[in-house]
Amino acid sequence: MMLAMGRRLKAIECFLRRWVSSRPDPELTALRYNVKRGSYAVPNDTHVAFFEKLLGPGGVITDSQECDAYNVDWLKIVKGSSRLVLRPRSTEEVSAVLRYCDERRLALCPQSGNTSLVGGSVPVFDEIVLSMRLMDRIIHTDELAGVVVCEAGCVLQRLDEHLSGRDLMMPIDLGAKGSCLIGGNVSTNAGGLRLLRYGNLHGNVLGLEAVMANGNVIDCLNTLKKDNTGYHLKHLFIGSEGTLGVVTKLAIQCPNLPKAINVAFLGLRDFKKVLETYRLAKGELSEILSSCEMMDRVSMDIAEQALGLKNPLASENDFYMLIETSGSQLSHDEEKVKAFLEKVMELGIVDDGTVTSDPSKIQKIWEVRERLAEAMSKEHYLFKYDISLPLSEFYSIVAVLKDHLKDCDVRYITGFGHLGDGNLHVQVLTSDYDAKVNARLEPFIFEYTSKMRGSISAEHGIGFKKAKFLRYSKDESAIELMRNMKRAMDPNGILNPYKVFT
Amino acid sequence: MKGLRTSIIQEKKRTEFVIMEDYKFLFKVVLVGNAGVGKTCLVRRFTQGLFPPGQGATIGVDFMIKTVEVENEIVKLQIWDTAGQERFRSITQSYYRSAHALILVYDISCQPTFDCLPDWLREIEEYASNKVLRILVGNKIDREDREIPTHVGEDFAQRHGMYFLETSAKEAENVERLFMEIAAELMEQARCKELPRYEQNTTSLNGKTTSIGDAGICGCSRLS
Repeated sequence: MMLAMGRRLKAIECFLRRWVSSRPDPELTALRYNVKRGSYAVPNDTHVAFFEKLLGPGGVITDSQECDAYNVDWLKIVKGSSRLVLRPRSTEEVSAVLRYCDERRLALCPQSGNTSLVGGSVPVFDEIVLSMRLMDRIIHTDELAGVVVCEAGCVLQRLDEHLSGRDLMMPIDLGAKGSCLIGGNVSTNAGGLRLLRYGNLHGNVLGLEAVMANGNVIDCLNTLKKDNTGYHLKHLFIGSEGTLGVVTKLAIQCPNLPKAINVAFLGLRDFKKVLETYRLAKGELSEILSSCEMMDRVSMDIAEQALGLKNPLASENDFYMLIETSGSQLSHDEEKVKAFLEKVMELGIVDDGTVTSDPSKIQKIWEVRERLAEAMSKEHYLFKYDISLPLSEFYSIVAVLKDHLKDCDVRYITGFGHLGDGNLHVQVLTSDYDAKVNARLEPFIFEYTSKMRGSISAEHGIGFKKAKFLRYSKDESAIELMRNMKRAMDPNGILNPYKVFT
Repeated sequence: MKGLRTSIIQEKKRTEFVIMEDYKFLFKVVLVGNAGVGKTCLVRRFTQGLFPPGQGATIGVDFMIKTVEVENEIVKLQIWDTAGQERFRSITQSYYRSAHALILVYDISCQPTFDCLPDWLREIEEYASNKVLRILVGNKIDREDREIPTHVGEDFAQRHGMYFLETSAKEAENVERLFMEIAAELMEQARCKELPRYEQNTTSLNGKTTSIGDAGICGCSRLS
């Protein structure tokens, strides 16, 4: 019965599709942020005719209402004004589109599941949206080696389901898995809920195929675990957010599906105890620990209020932790989890908790954690930051911001995130976009993070929203080399302009 | 070897460091019994002073700490509230072993929950320490449709060497008493023998805390 249990049940994974924000569309990004349009050609009827001929029926969208689904981001904080969406079905079509655009200096915005949290996946002006959604073939699965080769437009959850039937799993999992596409995950080097265990995509992507701005196809679709030949070019396309090329195919290393999963949800009184619990979890659960997440009291309150989710604990606590183990023997794992729980209770670190290996309860507990972003943006404008900080400073930013914003009209300031990865999501919730709050927050939060030697974007990337602030986490020498690489690979700057760089 | 020993010492140091509270006794109390007999309600009445109407079935194991004072000593009760449903039985068994006290609960208005007691006892025999303090609790005495007379429960408890108490989580009857007397009884046992270990992994924390070991019953029978 445990064998039949997938990584997680399906209901929560689909929430992004079900969910439609009640908030209205934001104003145009170009206006709100006063952006100057680059000197790109404006798409016209001749271009449209070419693309229609190239991509055939269903490959081109020009209807303005339909286009808007591709213009607005998931959080509704940015909006472009593209009137042309292209939906290629093959690498050859992507190549032809890019070559045509490069020759005519038409700007493109590659888009996957459009779940970016930094405005990286929607156009800023009238860039042509290159939607990868129709490239969704799973090409090959090597069950023994644990490798899947697929096209970039596969939905993460679909890949996971495909693999779970073969006792394998994707090495990445995140709240948006029902909507996000693997090509987007790789292009943004997305992190997620199990990075702690399986590492990031630079390690898990064995090979890839990408199309450069001039239409050249770069074939690095290696499927071997070890290949130390030449420059490791795949890394150029992992995390470069579609500015150096468009990823079209991938080979991904897949761990075995765990046979036993336990989830403990804990209530704690202060942040010091959260850190102690993490330290003990690493020690006691080392080889089976697969996730270590935390959230504060306000986050839980909002999940309960906005979405009607239920606190898994009967008591209210200042902090909550979710600890997951994945292993190959349920009774062994339960023994370890029990010993860990007894220890944290004996030491007076944890006051209240629940532990389970039951799939439906595991799902309910995870749902609270995974739907926090949704809960917070349901009725509020969300200033969302995704930072890495040394663990000792991990939560202090929330208090710092509370003080810094005390004279602003702020509803809530919340913190939750991937404790095990030193990655905190900090949210400032306001009733609507508030320029004063924005000015107070930026660059303050980035300066603070930089001062603490943290990263201003732990896993969400730079996108549009953080492009101005890249220098807080990257030295000028590094940015200069990035610019040179961009010039070499995309001399006309047609790929995802206004993103990553300013 | 040297390296290993060093790391153990370091671990010990750190462990001492994280002990932030001063308490003398820590006892593990595990509640078992059929689904729906009111285990969770007993725990919530005791730990939070409330009776949650429409309490859903416990899935897996819930746990919490309640600090009480017995004869001027701080005692921590670590309470493990297990799922009653059959399908979770294998999970809850692992929690028996380190228990100092096992509370076996039935519903006085539901004969089948009483009829299952021998099955639960067999589990307890098999998985729990033979020195564990065992308490039989007939819950829901607020209900008027009683099916198990008090003396029947009492007889059963006596025959099996268990303490016995009837409670109502709803009316807060005997709930406080149940846990407080367990705490007092375990403290008494611990003092009788002063054995600072329970299995090998429980140590005397910070030199101040005593967990009870194979102390046996001290002849005290506060609960009966």
